[in-house]
Amino acid sequence: MRRGLNGLPATAGQRAFRAHRTSTWRGEKFPREDRNWVKLPLVRDVPLLLPMQLRKPLKASQRQRSANHPTVSEADAQADRRVATWFGARGWRVFDFQRDVWAAYRRGESGLVHAATGTGKTLAAWMGPIIEWLAEQAPMRAGDEALDDVDDDTASEAMARRARRDSAPPLRVLWITPLRALAADTAEALGAPVRSLALPWTIETRTGDTSPAQRARQRRRLPTALVTTPESVSLLLSRDDAPELFSDLRVVVVDEWHELLGTKRGVQTELALARLRALRPQLRIWGLSATIGNIDEAARTLLGVGPAAREARIIRGVESKDVVVDSLIPPIVERFPWAGHLGTQMVPQVVAAIEEGESAIVFTNTRAQTEIWYQAILAARPDWAGRIALHHGSLDRKQRDWVEEGLRRGELRCVVATSSLDLGVDFSPVDRVLQIGSPKGVARLLQRAGRSGHQPGAISRVTCVPTNVLELIDVAAARDGIERGAIEARALVERPLDVLVQHVVTVALGGGFLPDELLVELRGTRAYAELREDEWAWVLAFVTTGGDALRGYPEYSRVLVEANGRYVVRDASIARRHRQTIGTIVSDGSIVVQYLRGGGGALGSVEESFIARLTPGDRFTFAGRSLEFVRVRDMKAWVRKAPSARGAVPRWMGSRLPLSGALAEALRRKLDEASRDEWRDAEMRAVRPIMEVQARWSRIPRAGELLIERVRTREGHHLFFFPFEGRLVHEGLAALFAYRISRLAPITFTFAANDYGFELLAPEAAPLEQALAAGLLAPRELLADIPASLNATEMARRQFREIARVSGLVFPGLPHSGKTARQLQVSSGLFFDVLQRYDPANLLLSQAHREVLERQLESSRLGRTLERLAAADVVITEPTRTPPLAFPLLVDRVRDRVSSETLGERIRKMQLALEKAAG
Amino acid sequence: MSGAPPDAAPVPHDARCTVRGEALVLLPERAVWWERTRTLLIADPHFGKAATFRSAGVPVPGGTTAGTLARIDATIARTDPARLVFLGDFLHARAGKSPAIVAALGAWRAGHASLDVVLVRGNHDRRAGDPPSELRIRCVDAPMIEGPFALVHHPAAVAGAYALAGHLHPSATMVGRGRQRERLPCFWFGAQWAVLPAFGEFTGLASVEPVAGDRVFVIAGDVVQLVSTA
Repeated sequence: MRRGLNGLPATAGQRAFRAHRTSTWRGEKFPREDRNWVKLPLVRDVPLLLPMQLRKPLKASQRQRSANHPTVSEADAQADRRVATWFGARGWRVFDFQRDVWAAYRRGESGLVHAATGTGKTLAAWMGPIIEWLAEQAPMRAGDEALDDVDDDTASEAMARRARRDSAPPLRVLWITPLRALAADTAEALGAPVRSLALPWTIETRTGDTSPAQRARQRRRLPTALVTTPESVSLLLSRDDAPELFSDLRVVVVDEWHELLGTKRGVQTELALARLRALRPQLRIWGLSATIGNIDEAARTLLGVGPAAREARIIRGVESKDVVVDSLIPPIVERFPWAGHLGTQMVPQVVAAIEEGESAIVFTNTRAQTEIWYQAILAARPDWAGRIALHHGSLDRKQRDWVEEGLRRGELRCVVATSSLDLGVDFSPVDRVLQIGSPKGVARLLQRAGRSGHQPGAISRVTCVPTNVLELIDVAAARDGIERGAIEARALVERPLDVLVQHVVTVALGGGFLPDELLVELRGTRAYAELREDEWAWVLAFVTTGGDALRGYPEYSRVLVEANGRYVVRDASIARRHRQTIGTIVSDGSIVVQYLRGGGGALGSVEESFIARLTPGDRFTFAGRSLEFVRVRDMKAWVRKAPSARGAVPRWMGSRLPLSGALAEALRRKLDEASRDEWRDAEMRAVRPIMEVQARWSRIPRAGELLIERVRTREGHHLFFFPFEGRLVHEGLAALFAYRISRLAPITFTFAANDYGFELLAPEAAPLEQALAAGLLAPRELLADIPASLNATEMARRQFREIARVSGLVFPGLPHSGKTARQLQVSSGLFFDVLQRYDPANLLLSQAHREVLERQLESSRLGRTLERLAAADVVITEPTRTPPLAFPLLVDRVRDRVSSETLGERIRKMQLALEKAAG
Repeated sequence: MSGAPPDAAPVPHDARCTVRGEALVLLPERAVWWERTRTLLIADPHFGKAATFRSAGVPVPGGTTAGTLARIDATIARTDPARLVFLGDFLHARAGKSPAIVAALGAWRAGHASLDVVLVRGNHDRRAGDPPSELRIRCVDAPMIEGPFALVHHPAAVAGAYALAGHLHPSATMVGRGRQRERLPCFWFGAQWAVLPAFGEFTGLASVEPVAGDRVFVIAGDVVQLVSTA
């Protein structure tokens, strides 16, 4: 099936692709063996795979479908017709899945709708409440007069708006979106039918960006529909009038639920939903999600578990369009730059690809890459100044808004972006998507591809640009994954106590609670279904007395227990600080970057640790500009424009995304093909010279083999292991193997891990054979060895950073907080050390260890990997030079350590680092 | 990167450092022992820091005050000083002057009744106020001139003297073969002043940047070790 490409003229992009191939493809079709595009299965009843928001009207025959759809009552039928007519007037067709959602909604059901981006999920969830309203109001109205658009601005519009606001129905629909950048767009999309159908509803947003005036108004009266983020919902729940606020709430819609699922924000959302269900037992909950591997779990997580749980109605919407994945292949695959980064050598090809379309999004994997590529593209095409932009989560909202608006209007040639543009907003003019660097996951690449091709008949296409040549293998693997439908499941988060501590204080603020009642509510969430009595007792003690270690410290109190047994917060400053820190997104003390004078105010924020390394006069690149650092004052980094684009680019912590399990598996198949001399994809043919070097100097591992390379350099003795399981699993394996080997002899390892494998480095040769014979790869004793190996590293201490912040131990630097707040500043690492020493039973410490195991290292994957490795044939090679697969590890500077020597012994062999910490 | 320094000395727990003709002993307990004048120098204990956090609703476990005092006791027992000088930041904040802290400090003081205790005021002391008078701690503003030394809180040149200071909570990063890195608290002796490590249990570290010619002594567990800056 190659429909969708036939008949379309070959775009210049396809020409570019063709230019770098040696195959004989010349026609209009992609020959099958090139395998660079994939067709997903069609969904029944959807003859045309078009996004619903067509710009051209459909034929009249396509419009009439609604007449005999079953409805609950005459009022409903009438309401249904009005909505269908509204669709028809726009030349849109109602999809069956949308009708299914409306009907289910009207029956009082809750559920989850999953479909690709831009296929009408929003209206599927939104029109249910509208039909419900229309049906409730039906006796008062007649006919369809109100159908004409009434959203023309008139002189009296402002007054009318004000009157509407005051008389509008109270909060009925709560719409939760993961990105505050999406809130305004969503509110806009929801407003269209409300205006056309002349509903007296108000729709507003409330996010961290909402103006104080609007907040004040919302404090008096919430709109009929509120578009907001999980954090803002928690803030509403912390108001002491929370029960009254939601007394007329009919439905909560959680948009982009797959983005929240499996994160602490998702757990925060689960907790908020449980609270809302407790306040409003009849509440309906609907989630909107992209298709993921564990959609049933996603629905269960959304709707809760236990006896009071709602049955989940899972409705599948329109699935994705055709997807083409191709690559820009470096013109000359040299023998050694594979190593490292191609850097921005691919800029000419990228610029050529951008030129083919009207409007392009260039996705990168990190914010730092965004800055670098923006500069590089601008340097190549200075005439594009003003028509290219960059977009990432650390930029000031004004700039992000400007970029999004420019994309929507089709005014921008190109935007360089991170995942901040992955979601939601429909940028129809975008017809070209590029992915810089490894796609990292199958679902992720699909989602990014889906950002293009919103025009009728268009296919979704994403062109990958390697930053090192080996990444071409990832692209080929991702295409295979898409073809096999190997969409990743989201790993869920199990009862994180830091989020619970935060939520409990929130509920104590929002009118207080009785512990037994709240426990029932908490156990109704999937995340805390297994919450143990002792854990619950600990959480209650922690927020009231600070736990065992603090008993007898009268100066401490966060939550009070009143005479009637209710847990409440009375202290105003504790309340204020809690509200300021609600949320689970942890940034490392980010600091606002602002122009000294003129120039337009704030540019965004960077991590404090980056600014700390600058001295006045240093240059750096941020928000696409060259800046000179002047000074830090009032929690802001003041800068002025610098004449040239030189200097460092800020890096943000945690920006190294690991390869997904699904992609890792696909990658191993690709290598197995290569080991058998099969080169089926353009990408694999491109890396063939490098893989042949790998084969000559060492070996290309086959399926069922574990390759270990032993290399000696002047830095010491290196062991490179290649399980191909993704970086997180490799970090765990590296710690485990280093620990197991170090028990055989006093030795100190540093280790580095990437998506392909990991490196153990020591000053002396490690007893590898002896360790293998003693069961280095054995899955046995794993339960004892893994915690022991983690204790030998800094992983738990690092993981504690997030826990300390979420549970309110550590405050982010807050503006205007002055000296008093500074006296309360302490690093999470110091907190970790003090707790280990003085309160070792603190459950937040065990949570740190558990999170490292479950989330960081995906311990279940770790166990499965070990079983695979234990059954594998171990192949040890001793190359005289570092082979291609090992090279990126060799130069990786991010390292952890495992040692069986004492600190004193180690230090005696070391010397002072005189250079500034390279980080 | 080369191998281990040639003079890998055996394990002296303390280190010695001669400055302006005076011999100072650097103790792994994070204190300086000036034997000739029987003076013990301690910087930045930050008493009451944990209590300050607790009073703001942050649950820092108890025990840090007792831990800090126990380390002072152990150091006193080892050196038997006539005088103890705190180089600033004795109390962390006003809110930390809780009855429990004052009582703990009082009990500690009673155990060393004959000891002359001096505080050279630091930035935190200015906000927190002097320690309660029943602790019998003599409070002076910097610099306090003693022989060739100026005892101060902020490290800065003092005319005609070599300054011994605190304030920075200094740490140094060590590197070794196999890309090893380790960050440790340190004593940092520069041309005109030296900085002592922070003594308190609940205090953090800040990286410092020694220049060639400085002497840096890192504290690795119970060992103080001179490291080369060349």
